[in-house]
Amino acid sequence: MADTDTTSSEHTQLQDLVYALAPSPHFAQDGICFAARRSGLYRSDDGGANWRTTYDSLNLEAPLATTAVVVSPAFESDHSVLAGSQGGVLRSVDGGESWNVAVFPPPPPIVSALAISPDFIRDGTLFAGTVEDGVFRSADRGGRWSAWNFGLLDLSVLCVAISPNFAADETLFVGTETGVFRSTNGGRAWREVNFPTEYAPVISLALSPDYAEDGVLFAGTESRGLFRGADRGDTWEQIGEDAIQDSVNGIVLSPQFPARPEILVVLGTGLLVSRDGGPSWSGWQADLPTDHGLTCAAAPQGLDPDAPLLIGLVGGDVIRI
Amino acid sequence: MAKSQTQRVVFQPATYQGFQRGIHQIVAAVRPTLGPLPRIVALESTVSSSTMPEVLDNGGVIARRIIQIADRDADMGAMFLRHLLWHMHEKVGDGTATAAVMFQSIYDQGVRYIVAGGNAMQLRRFMETGMRVILDELSDMATRLEGKQKLAQVAESICYDPPLAKMLGEIFDIIGEYGRLETRSGRGRELEREYVEGMYWSGGVLSRQMIADHAKMRTDMENAAILISDLEIEDPRQLTPVLETTIKAGFQSLMMIVGKLSDSATAFLLSVSKDADKFRGIAVKAPQVTAADRAAALQDLAVLTGGRVLAKAAGFTPGSVKPQDLGQARRAWADRSHFGIVGGKGDPRALREHIATLRAAFEQTDEPGDRRNLRERIGKLMGGSATLWVGGATEMEIEARKELAKRTADALRGAIADGVLPGGGVSLLACRPALLHKLEQSTDPDERAAYRILIRALEAPIRTILTNAGHDASEVMAEIKGARPGHGFDVRSGQVVDVAQAGIFDSAGVQRQVIHSAVGGAALALTVDVLVHHKQPPQAMDTA
Repeated sequence: MADTDTTSSEHTQLQDLVYALAPSPHFAQDGICFAARRSGLYRSDDGGANWRTTYDSLNLEAPLATTAVVVSPAFESDHSVLAGSQGGVLRSVDGGESWNVAVFPPPPPIVSALAISPDFIRDGTLFAGTVEDGVFRSADRGGRWSAWNFGLLDLSVLCVAISPNFAADETLFVGTETGVFRSTNGGRAWREVNFPTEYAPVISLALSPDYAEDGVLFAGTESRGLFRGADRGDTWEQIGEDAIQDSVNGIVLSPQFPARPEILVVLGTGLLVSRDGGPSWSGWQADLPTDHGLTCAAAPQGLDPDAPLLIGLVGGDVIRI
Repeated sequence: MAKSQTQRVVFQPATYQGFQRGIHQIVAAVRPTLGPLPRIVALESTVSSSTMPEVLDNGGVIARRIIQIADRDADMGAMFLRHLLWHMHEKVGDGTATAAVMFQSIYDQGVRYIVAGGNAMQLRRFMETGMRVILDELSDMATRLEGKQKLAQVAESICYDPPLAKMLGEIFDIIGEYGRLETRSGRGRELEREYVEGMYWSGGVLSRQMIADHAKMRTDMENAAILISDLEIEDPRQLTPVLETTIKAGFQSLMMIVGKLSDSATAFLLSVSKDADKFRGIAVKAPQVTAADRAAALQDLAVLTGGRVLAKAAGFTPGSVKPQDLGQARRAWADRSHFGIVGGKGDPRALREHIATLRAAFEQTDEPGDRRNLRERIGKLMGGSATLWVGGATEMEIEARKELAKRTADALRGAIADGVLPGGGVSLLACRPALLHKLEQSTDPDERAAYRILIRALEAPIRTILTNAGHDASEVMAEIKGARPGHGFDVRSGQVVDVAQAGIFDSAGVQRQVIHSAVGGAALALTVDVLVHHKQPPQAMDTA
């Protein structure tokens, strides 16, 4: 059984919980990971064993709920971290030591998800999904943001997923209260995809690392299970319907997908993994705490059984197994 | 009475001869405009002989401007084709010159065959069979149009104006098939574009004093309640229940869409909005072109914002407003002539269903006015719009380029909806083997004649493109026939190329309409046997 380390949660008026985890691209070497929590943004420098708040420099009077976090693909050199909150985006270029507030048009949006271009070092592009205002786009490394919602008929954005080949195909998807929308022009305009509306809300998305070739993506719903999209989202099929009956809070694919067709789904009550692309599912090999719901996961070194897995919990704890 | 109105009845062969003269005149006027290296047509001004002639490169408009031909037999043929081309222009915005040259080829060949003893009705029937074969072939060849680069390539094959095509490619990549595009005269010489977030309607604030930002001459409100109505409010006291309902529902700002607000009611609304930090209320005029348009706009607003239309005709009064009747928006704005909504808080499922219903209605109607209205409504609801500012050296140049931009935009919408085909006449040539196969299978002389006529007519557009560009059509056609499938002649480079790879595309919808108009129209025209003239020539009314 893998070791299990637990951080202590900082209690606020609302129960703390982990919204998102963002490990450094060089996690295996530097052990850095960020956790976006209702009580703020936290950083671990030891692979998830210990965590410290990153908002000290802001001298906040009350905890700033942080709903999303992304780190730069070039974090090692640019130390860029962006955190989404209720009111906008904070950005740091020193790994979270100090922060700048990004400029959004009024009224202040509630950020629900962030996505960063894989080619961020060159294009400086970021996307912020929001609860009421659709998608904002920044092309200057998060300094200024503007709404681009042409064709986005549902502005309640719950998750964002960006193509690994974004530099070439300019593709990203958002999951919303009523389904899935796709942009093929860098988030400037959106089109409905044929995701069955009755299965929405879509709360998690993951694109195949080989999306440019296979056009495959996965969508997790709040209460109707997991779906596999083919043809870049034109056709959808439900997978694992017998095993997955809970909300799909997160989807993690093997970095070698589809050659290694491994899919990990984070359910409210546990983790399931499929190692054959979806037909069969089993529980994750490690024991998990049963008294807290699971909210998100990160697999910075892939889905090998002996690779570390970070899991965010209701209550604000992050466990490493 | 009928006898007194009838001056002359024309029989064969004068019918065909007269029709043919008229068709030839229209086609001769339109033909030079076909292809990427076209020539233009100057028309004498209808306003005054001292003004500049009108310069046109659009087959549909040129045909429309020819309102009468002195030779009355020829006039009937000319008007037959003119109507067909204008209808096509209205429907798809492009392809009229292609249809005209195909029409002429089919008609001329058909007349020769019928005069030699062929059966006109049978010929028409088999031509319609051939038409379906061509349409099936075109459908099989069509590919989806996506991405600004491909959109720009298609736009360029329509307008032959690379900067305009590039701009329209970007715009339509964003706004999509139904998106709202306004084309306005620019102040400089260049093309510029602007994207507007959200939806807006005509109908500005009802009082200048409701403008909060005098520098921008507009008012912006956040998290606003929206009263959606055509109510006519005379008495200031009628506002009280509306304002009470709004404030009780927790809103600090209210946009009232109304049919009318009296001066005293306006003054009352301004007085309660004095402290804008506590409450701001503005009133805007309900959109109005026709009563039906207004009702449609209010319905769209209700779906978008989650409110309810309080229609005067349905007996609603300001006193009957309930909290759930109010729509909501993240932002609402108004200036002197428009008001807009950004982030309407209506049910997104209801919005998607509403748009799907409008799209279905759009697909089902052929009436250009209805299609335009429905497209505008869908475009407004899609969440944004674009404005293209067209500059130029002279007003005439700006107007001509604006017209070109609008026509290209219409054709691009069709291309996005229906897909694209290899351009430069190549897709039409590629339909010939299927017709040849039908020809080989048939033994009926009328059927064989119909397929032969169509095979030859499919060459007419490419031959015209080549001739217009100054090439020897027969020589180049021989080159194309020896080339691989999908290859055609790029008249600008003077080389045989893979047209799709060279970015030469035609709209599949336009090409299908070309076939419908040219084959269906010519087949019908060939069955016209008798002309009946009124005593007095009809008055030429249409000068649009």
